[in-house]
Amino acid sequence: MNNQVKPPRLARRLLKAFLRNDLAEEVEGDLDEKFHSEVKNKSVFKAKLNYWYQTLNYLRPFAIKKLNRLQVMNNHLLENYYKISKRNIFKHKMISFINVFSLAVGLAACVIIYLFVSDERSFDAFHAKNNNIYRLDEVQKFTGTNEQKVALSMPGMGPALSRDFPEVQMYVRLWLRGKQLISKNDTKHLIDNVMTVDSTFFDVFDFPLVQGDVNTCLDRPLTILLTESTALKFFNTTSEALNNTVTWDGKDYEVTGILKDVPENSHIQFEALLSMVTYTSGENNVNNSWGGNWMTTYLLLEPTANIPAMEEKFPAFMSRHMDDPEINTYYKLYLQRLDDVHLASTDIEHDYINYRKFNGSYLIIFYVIAAFILLIAAVNFMNLTTARASHRWKEIGVRKTIGAMKTQLFGQFIFESVMLAIIALVVGLLLGTLFLPILNELIGRQLSILPLFQNVWQLIAVLVGTLSLGIATGIYPSFYMTSFNLSRVLKGGNKGEGKSVLRSTLVVVQFGLAIAMMVSTLIVIQQLSFMKDSDIGFDKDQMMLVNMNNEANEKFETIRKELQKQSVIKGVTASGQRLGNNFHQGGFKVKADTGVLEITPSNVNVDYDFLNVYGIEVKEGRGFSKDNPTDQDFAFIINESFANELRLKETLGTKAGHGWYHNDSLGTIIGVVKDFNFNSLHYKVNTLAMVVHPGWGYEELSVKIEKGRTEEGIAAVKKVWDELVPSYPFDYTFLDAHFEEVYRSDKQMSAVVAIMAGLSILISCIGLFGLAAITIEKKTKEIGIRKVLGATEGQITVLLSRNFALLIVIAFAMVSPITYMALHRWLESFAYRININLLVFGAGGTLALAIGLLTISFHTLKSARANPVKALRYE
Amino acid sequence: MIETRLGEFEEVILLLSGILGEEAYAFKIAEEFESQTGRTVSIGAVHSTLTRLEEKGFLKSEMGKSTAERGGRRKRIYTITAYGKKTLANARDFKQALWDQFPGFATSKLSLGIQ
Repeated sequence: MNNQVKPPRLARRLLKAFLRNDLAEEVEGDLDEKFHSEVKNKSVFKAKLNYWYQTLNYLRPFAIKKLNRLQVMNNHLLENYYKISKRNIFKHKMISFINVFSLAVGLAACVIIYLFVSDERSFDAFHAKNNNIYRLDEVQKFTGTNEQKVALSMPGMGPALSRDFPEVQMYVRLWLRGKQLISKNDTKHLIDNVMTVDSTFFDVFDFPLVQGDVNTCLDRPLTILLTESTALKFFNTTSEALNNTVTWDGKDYEVTGILKDVPENSHIQFEALLSMVTYTSGENNVNNSWGGNWMTTYLLLEPTANIPAMEEKFPAFMSRHMDDPEINTYYKLYLQRLDDVHLASTDIEHDYINYRKFNGSYLIIFYVIAAFILLIAAVNFMNLTTARASHRWKEIGVRKTIGAMKTQLFGQFIFESVMLAIIALVVGLLLGTLFLPILNELIGRQLSILPLFQNVWQLIAVLVGTLSLGIATGIYPSFYMTSFNLSRVLKGGNKGEGKSVLRSTLVVVQFGLAIAMMVSTLIVIQQLSFMKDSDIGFDKDQMMLVNMNNEANEKFETIRKELQKQSVIKGVTASGQRLGNNFHQGGFKVKADTGVLEITPSNVNVDYDFLNVYGIEVKEGRGFSKDNPTDQDFAFIINESFANELRLKETLGTKAGHGWYHNDSLGTIIGVVKDFNFNSLHYKVNTLAMVVHPGWGYEELSVKIEKGRTEEGIAAVKKVWDELVPSYPFDYTFLDAHFEEVYRSDKQMSAVVAIMAGLSILISCIGLFGLAAITIEKKTKEIGIRKVLGATEGQITVLLSRNFALLIVIAFAMVSPITYMALHRWLESFAYRININLLVFGAGGTLALAIGLLTISFHTLKSARANPVKALRYE
Repeated sequence: MIETRLGEFEEVILLLSGILGEEAYAFKIAEEFESQTGRTVSIGAVHSTLTRLEEKGFLKSEMGKSTAERGGRRKRIYTITAYGKKTLANARDFKQALWDQFPGFATSKLSLGIQ
């Protein structure tokens, strides 16, 4: 027998910890015997392992210590705790209200933020292979244009990638057609977000097909899939739609499948899908199309694919497929995870297939805000409970005398705070349910509190969260209350609790957070109104945009003349692309003294009147004129950025043209306009060339309507349209609405921050209100004596407010630099931004101080005015 | 009411404690169980069953001698009670009665009796 070897100590300690004392001897003996026999017959390691096994197997009801009844709460004690808690809650109604209300508001804010964030995170999660789907993006760097990330790619890339890279299981390309007129006999409808997609669409994505064969529905040319609601626009039932035909662009398309309507949380939104095969055969096979980026490519990769390694091989891939030796200075391909498409694409341009794109970094801000609010609410609870400790001293003293142990008292106070937290949760959920519809309205969501109850895990998380909140906020007060020694407590001891460093610190934290959020809100609002009101270089108000088709283009002159007859219409023009996004970029040539410069600016095709109607200022040269026959196709107006980029001695009159123009038949630069922000203010103004080229057709008619007569204007345009363009329904929007859309993510974030800042100030203030009530109540005698000795009301008010004011000032001083840095970083995401005005900080701080002092003034004034006799009579 | 029915495991443990006599304590019973049945069992499981059997009155126990392997700790020796023995016998008889009614088995036993 090996006496050197001993059973594992930890296991033995564990055994001792849980085993009933009267069993200890025999069990330890048995296990030792077993251990030694194992050592003898097997190995030491196995013996130790077996000891553990045996120990854990003693975790049976019969062998476990009965918990000491004195140490835990038994039912009667719990009942008593409940009763006392209830009495306390009702006895101090104001304090209880503050406690419950602030925790409830905090919890409601957290729940709502959680709902918001999980809604954003749920995007595209319904695709089973979402972890292996990537979008192919490009970083483009052309001469004479800002470097940009782009969500478009060349049609040839998808097929070539799947041939060249074994990691690529499959590719699918989406070719966005936008709004299209689809008809069935006499029924005509504008169908939004029509796309042409590869037959692999359903192999990569999981959009449910309710009718039709998912494997073959996109295999043939001239086939179309409709969503249920689209199908019902043309047919009585979806079954009738299946295998029937609809007409688009003069051709009949067979309906080979019916899709469920696309869920809200999909970044790809469509109402009809056309099959790509129509374009992948013959001379113009798009699979061989390189050079132009006009499709969105998604790749389904092997789960084992190494993304960085793939991206490293992309330059070689590009060189293999494109002749240009410089190709890799222009293009850098990269892969973007499907999750990131919705949440991390705000810096990506030409990102047209991205419904409700959201800035994912805001989600972290939201989480931080939720934590802040909860912290502020928790501080209220801690401060009020500890400040009120003296009210409970007699109770604590009596309990201690009867024999309550520290742990029991501790348990009692934790019990109370957990109880309050649970009440707060109920109230919080009610508040949440009440205010969610208003919030939904404000931020354009359909959040609902219901899913919280449908998912068991979420419910458990909420409950566990609430319990831990109760425990966490209860711990400090419990320690504080149980730490007094008995004799002092029973003597009705005083002092030593009037001032508390920790309590003051908590108030500083609370107000610091509130001030930070308030200042941030002010800055965010300033930036947003800056974007809204700043001179973007053109007039976007009262500008109606009407979708145009071929017929409208052919009859453009007539439409214009008809419209201009009306007094309500201030101007009519047309353009190939809408303002508010980057315009498509394309090759451009400028003939300088040194030779022909190749540059890639943004390009837009506009009508003669475009500059006039939009109020874009011509800085040099002239605008387009119909009187000048060469102004069609061969006259260019560029913006200042472009002119600066060219740095020519004489810009006007310089020969220039699109990339495919022959060097001998270039047009002329006839004018330079002041820079205007055709793209969102997140981006710098890009170089731009405008041309009048009616041959390419215009996408949209812009009609400027007189202010205050919008309805009349819409009716007038509709009348003219319906008369002249019977082939296409009248479909319009307003440019400012479009700009709202462009800044939506920023707006929503500012709305949420503003609401939360308001809440945090509210919670902080009611906390302060309660705290002031308690501390001033304790000074009743002091105030009485001071008044008797001749202090004025003013002096006493100042005396009482001084400490609180000091705390707010400290909070302000501590939090300002951090807030400044955070805001500075946020503003850097805008190319056009405000400078942080330090006055805003001053305003925020002053506001917080004012609100704080106003809050406590109720108590300070009351006690300063009180009759000193009342205060002193009790002696 | 005290549960008097014997489970299979309980029955075996009860039998083993009878067999082991003076040496019937949790560790030994567990060892014996493993060697007789070829099944592994933890001491805790055996101990828990022994406690239950004692509560039902089939066993009684007292603290016995200590040995060096046990670090000088005493062991709890279980002895089967008369009631325990009776219950075991009843269990056996009951099963025997069932076996006697079992067609194939009953006949073969009968034929054995004739020879």
